[in-house]
Amino acid sequence: MGLNRRQFLAAGLGAVGAVVAAGGLTRQVWPMLAREDLVPGEAPDMVLPPLAWDTTRDRVTFAALGDNGSGGRQAMAVATELARTYRAAPFGVVALLGDICYYGPIQKRFDDVFRKPLGPLIDAGVGFELAIGNHDGNLDYSQAGLEEIEAELALLGTPGRYYTTTHGPVDFFYLDSSVPSLSGVNGAGQLAWLDDVLARSTNQWRVVCMHHPPFSSGYHGSALHVRERVVPILERHRVDLVLAGHDHHYERTRPIDGVTYVVSGGGCKRTPVGRSDFTAVADSILEFLHVEVDGDRLSARCIQPDGHVADRFELRARRS
Amino acid sequence: MSHRVVDAVAPVVYAVIDFAAIMAPSLFIKVAADRGGMASTVGLDLVAASLAIGVPHAVIAWWRLRSEERMAVRRADIWIAAIDGLVVLALGWTLLLLAVLALFVDEHSALANRGYPVIALWAGLLLVAVALAEGVSRFVFWWLEPHAALHRRRRRHHVRRSLRHARRTTADDAVWAGLRRH
Repeated sequence: MGLNRRQFLAAGLGAVGAVVAAGGLTRQVWPMLAREDLVPGEAPDMVLPPLAWDTTRDRVTFAALGDNGSGGRQAMAVATELARTYRAAPFGVVALLGDICYYGPIQKRFDDVFRKPLGPLIDAGVGFELAIGNHDGNLDYSQAGLEEIEAELALLGTPGRYYTTTHGPVDFFYLDSSVPSLSGVNGAGQLAWLDDVLARSTNQWRVVCMHHPPFSSGYHGSALHVRERVVPILERHRVDLVLAGHDHHYERTRPIDGVTYVVSGGGCKRTPVGRSDFTAVADSILEFLHVEVDGDRLSARCIQPDGHVADRFELRARRS
Repeated sequence: MSHRVVDAVAPVVYAVIDFAAIMAPSLFIKVAADRGGMASTVGLDLVAASLAIGVPHAVIAWWRLRSEERMAVRRADIWIAAIDGLVVLALGWTLLLLAVLALFVDEHSALANRGYPVIALWAGLLLVAVALAEGVSRFVFWWLEPHAALHRRRRRHHVRRSLRHARRTTADDAVWAGLRRH
């Protein structure tokens, strides 16, 4: 059967389109729609009791939330459950593990990705401490990128790209784990600072927060530049817990040279995760971490947006 | 397989694929939300909106193919036009959705936070894609078919339908005679 010129043209376009649709949609675009959090979501509408947490020299409760910057449905669901968890077990601080703003600059999207989803907690007086991520200003250290990072730090009242805070018995160390910040002169400065502040830390617990995970079995995998340059310092100073994001899943390692590493990057998106020889628990879920420290005992729960607890673990302080 | 069987089965298969292309984005999102630990009701609105448009459009696509099978001068024209329409539907729906969701984030986030139903955005975009696909399919079929012959066949098809209708509804000989004169 011969085709005339019109038939040939229409059939050719159809065939090319069919090949593109079959391959591109099923392998790339539809899975991407599932991975991202593009569908708009409604912000949580609740009023929480202000300043309801109880922080003493021996006790503190905090939450950790990573990669939550979409402002979409899933981000709102995670934020809603975070607010519900506050009502049941109040916490005074949330460690943000980076990437608090996707799909646009923070200057434009701050309300959608931060104020609206986390509004009930902000109104209750909860503090937010940020470890900046690769999507925050793209961390390429271009002028525009730096300006966005500065804007983000200013909006959250964060003192710098790396800094330390103390809450109850826990010293927190927030790092800028991007490649430019851990290499060259920048890297040497930050690593020397980390070595110094960890050496001078006198509290019972030391928790390090950063965006890139040194141990991960997920989509991006372990950040080898962090493992190579930061991990020896953490081991040397007997850090208890390392919290990271970047990969959009939950993963807890068994203690590696005494340090437990957690990837908690399921703040609004999910990517697949496998298992490695260091993995204790891993799952591709939306989640955040709720942590209670009481004396020399730390207990943590990984909580999903429907309230299901996906993981629980306990640690004993390495320093008595 | 005889032509008759192919003519009966192919439009059904086409309608099923058409339906699947409409449903796919909402199902991918729903399954991802379920696996991520979202409440089981999350995402059902998008599935429902897709169903509400996908089912009628699958029926329309099936009916269009059956009707084109009756009037086409060349069978190839039917399937070339149908595949063009399906490609426009699958690509158009998903890419339109992606473009609006990814490029107009501020706008739809602001609307969602003012109580604007997401389902309306979803259904609106889907309707645009369906209309586009229908238009392309019908246009390509019209463009490929020899126009004079197509016109004659359409007229014959129309007369046959009128005859069938008349047979069912009237026994008036005058009407029969009038229709036969056509």
